[in-house]
Amino acid sequence: MIRPTRPPARRGAARLGAGILTLALVATGCGGGGETGAGSATGTVTSITALDYYTDTTEHAQWGASLAACGRTVGVTVEQTSVPGASLIPRVLQQASSRTLPDLLMLDNPDLQQIAQTGALTPLDRYGIDSSGFARGILSASTYDGKLYGLAPDVNTIALFYNKDMLARAGVAVPRTWAELKTAAARLTRPGRYGMAVDANATFEGTWQFLPFLWSNGGDEKALATPQAAQALQLWVDLVKSGSMSASVLNWTQSDVSDQFVAGRTAMMVNGPWRISDLNEAKGLHWGVAPIPVPQAGQTPVTPLGGEVWTVPQSASRARQEKAAKVLACLNDSTTMLALAREHFTVPSRSAVASRYAEQVPSMAAFVQSVEAARARTGELGVRWPQAATGIYTAIQSALTGEQTPEEALTHAQQIATSP
Amino acid sequence: MRSRSRPVPDLARARFRESLAQWLFIAPAALYLLLFFGYPIVKNVVMSFQQYTITTFYTGAAPFVGLRNYSTILSSDLFSRALLTTVLFTVGSIVGQFVLGLAIALFFQRSFPLGRVLRSLLLLPWLLPLVASGTTWRWMLDGDTGVVNAVLRDLHLLPSGVPWLTGTSPALLSVTLINIWVGIPFTTTILYGGLQDIPTHLYEAAKLDGAGPVTMFRHITWPLLRPVATVVLVLGAVYTVKVLDIILVVTGGGPADATETIATQSYTLSFQQFEFGRGAAMSNVLLVISIGFALVYLRVNRRAQNA
Amino acid sequence: MKRAPRRGRLSTVVGIILLALMLFPVYWMVNASLQPTGNPLQGGWFPRHPDVSGYLSALRDQGGNLVTSLVVALGSVALSLGLAAPAAYALAQFRIRGTGLVLFGILLTQMVPGIVVANALYSAYNDLGLLNSYLGLILADSTAGVPFAIIVLRSFMQGIPREITEAARVDGAGRLRVFRAVVLPMSANALITAALFTFLFTWSDFLFALTLTTTETVRPVTLGIYQYIGAQTHQWNAVMATAVLASLPAAVLLVVAQRYVAAGTTSGSVQ
Repeated sequence: MIRPTRPPARRGAARLGAGILTLALVATGCGGGGETGAGSATGTVTSITALDYYTDTTEHAQWGASLAACGRTVGVTVEQTSVPGASLIPRVLQQASSRTLPDLLMLDNPDLQQIAQTGALTPLDRYGIDSSGFARGILSASTYDGKLYGLAPDVNTIALFYNKDMLARAGVAVPRTWAELKTAAARLTRPGRYGMAVDANATFEGTWQFLPFLWSNGGDEKALATPQAAQALQLWVDLVKSGSMSASVLNWTQSDVSDQFVAGRTAMMVNGPWRISDLNEAKGLHWGVAPIPVPQAGQTPVTPLGGEVWTVPQSASRARQEKAAKVLACLNDSTTMLALAREHFTVPSRSAVASRYAEQVPSMAAFVQSVEAARARTGELGVRWPQAATGIYTAIQSALTGEQTPEEALTHAQQIATSP
Repeated sequence: MRSRSRPVPDLARARFRESLAQWLFIAPAALYLLLFFGYPIVKNVVMSFQQYTITTFYTGAAPFVGLRNYSTILSSDLFSRALLTTVLFTVGSIVGQFVLGLAIALFFQRSFPLGRVLRSLLLLPWLLPLVASGTTWRWMLDGDTGVVNAVLRDLHLLPSGVPWLTGTSPALLSVTLINIWVGIPFTTTILYGGLQDIPTHLYEAAKLDGAGPVTMFRHITWPLLRPVATVVLVLGAVYTVKVLDIILVVTGGGPADATETIATQSYTLSFQQFEFGRGAAMSNVLLVISIGFALVYLRVNRRAQNA
Repeated sequence: MKRAPRRGRLSTVVGIILLALMLFPVYWMVNASLQPTGNPLQGGWFPRHPDVSGYLSALRDQGGNLVTSLVVALGSVALSLGLAAPAAYALAQFRIRGTGLVLFGILLTQMVPGIVVANALYSAYNDLGLLNSYLGLILADSTAGVPFAIIVLRSFMQGIPREITEAARVDGAGRLRVFRAVVLPMSANALITAALFTFLFTWSDFLFALTLTTTETVRPVTLGIYQYIGAQTHQWNAVMATAVLASLPAAVLLVVAQRYVAAGTTSGSVQ
């Protein structure tokens, strides 16, 4: 799931300073942790704390049950605290500065790099956790400086949702290419209804939704001012200019887009599987899922990898860290991840498990297929990703409002991405 | 002969105790103001010379980087755009509030049935929480489903409506108009008070001389209203430059940074990017602008008092 | 001061139309709050079938936030008046050296942008553990109340005849007693005005609610609405209902205490 996240800007000097401090802290942390671990071996750990952003009542209960079950196998109870998505990072920073981080911390995967860089997390290799069979994307997102800091039991990505009735009535086939998307959207637009909707707002959600179009066309976040990137942006600009997509996409979140779809104000949308329960509740809505359209027929769409990783922060108590690591390992084993995937309409992170899942839940097959080729956002840029993401959504806004052409907008985006 | 020396120390001590008692009345408030205004100003200046990052939260390290924060933000094109937006937003708001506020104040100048009731009910937009009214305006200005565009379409004034929140210039216009709507009650009330202070007999004398309403305005109302009007304008400028709520709630600074002002930029830098150093630098720029207005206000006030 | 001649009913009609135009958004807010749930994006001009489910959702989800706002607002009123009243009295009636300086300082505080205060308070509160606390918000929100209250109270107290306070002192009362027994009762109107505005400023505060809280444990309703929008977009009637509830204090105080509101608006600007 994608939530709006915050981007800190990185600077060379700061990174060096932070790197030195990190090493110092890790060194003292190891030494300190060992000493206190030995010293507090007398007290056994019976409960650990966990922090996540699953505030939705059902989600919160489901995760609570999963955490409790894993806790039981290790002999601890898990105190789960959930804060709203946008509040998670501020809370983590606040806890980091007051040294009150939880024992088990959930992070949205693109945030892991920055938090790992501060030195607040512990690498998972010291706990002997098995990370074999995990999708390449999630491993790259969770690896900082060569060490693995987190694991995600399930991942997800975005795809094209469409209203079956509207497409059937208009005699339009599900679009597979960009050209088909443009014609289909145009044919499906009528007064009071748009053909297509995306989230193009000025947050990381907008960037996230644009990435499939950027990547599938060969564009890359390392160099944004390329013709491939401009073509991708031009697609969105054309959709809005031709009236197939509302100009309000500039302000919509993925949640807003889904509401538009449920209300029948758009025939197609780009969104993720976490909306499926909402869609199922809507009476009379017959929806379908397809992979996001690609530039040319036969290409595979490259979509961004979503999903939350679980990490073990630095702590004075080595015993608590060990228990937390065991719970983390339990959450990430094949049985648990399959159960979680079925509960939350996500995809298991281990490829073998994912294929079994696709057979068991055919409606998720499109997502399983997309996840296989999905890319981690921080895969290439690491801690510099937030800046590139900011550049991308700034370019989207500029181009869709007509302030700049896609080429100009992306040149500016590259400047933002590479600024100190 | 009595020695003079004894009563003097007693008097001095009594006077000292007297001053102390008097100062104790002010001390709590003075301490509060020092802590909650003085400290932030100083801390902002200090922070603006340091580099804060996410790592600072964990390690506490905020290295001193001199003027680098200032040079970074002042040279970014986002700053010059934010400055322009701030100027346009402020000038547009004050002018709009003043002109409309004056018009309404003049309308209420002479009493009529229900006048007082209407005048006090008119205060409501200024008193409502900006989040509540901003949210309502956002709903009303939606391009596809908002009531404003629906009316424009139904009245065949504009077939496709106005992209109030999705176009760059319209968005700035929208927040300015909303700010004017919020500010009119305040301006009206102050100007109404000023109008009431103008002696009636001046108008009666002018009317005997055969003067029309426009002449009366130009030669009686406006000159006597000038001091109050200038106070309203300067105060308006000071308050508008600080505005954050409306913009955050209605447009969030967008689209495409079209409604980012210095104030909202400072917020974004500090609380969304956690670049507290740069955010502090930006808000110091804002502080300097505010102090500039404050000096103007002092000069104007002194002149008004001497007039 | 009455102006002659009185104008007729035409002015009243124009006045009503003007008021209707200015208050239309308020009407729309109420209208949207009474629309039925599940009608996310369209609203009729008039709530044909008024549905209070929006209010029920609002009270369920934001009831706690309303209480939080109330607690913080009342606390801020108490603190602001407690600090401002003695200071205003001293600045109005005592001839202390440095009065000019203090007054200039208060004027300066009116010019300080809230974001400057929030920037500094965030890290201070983080170190002191005052983030997400009632006390923290009360202290921060009083930055709007204290200067304003001092200005309003001082301008009123300057008008208290010195003979009365001096007569009390001659009778042997200490300064504090004079303040409590003579000055405060006489300043009741100004105190009410100051209290009213401090309450409204704090109730409407958004900036400090946004920056000085990181969780939902202590969340004023202004922040609640802002975040409600993102979380509940298919229940606009609940969002608008919350907005209506948040607007109630202002509306109620305007109707009930109109005199004080008008007085505060004018005296707050004349320094």
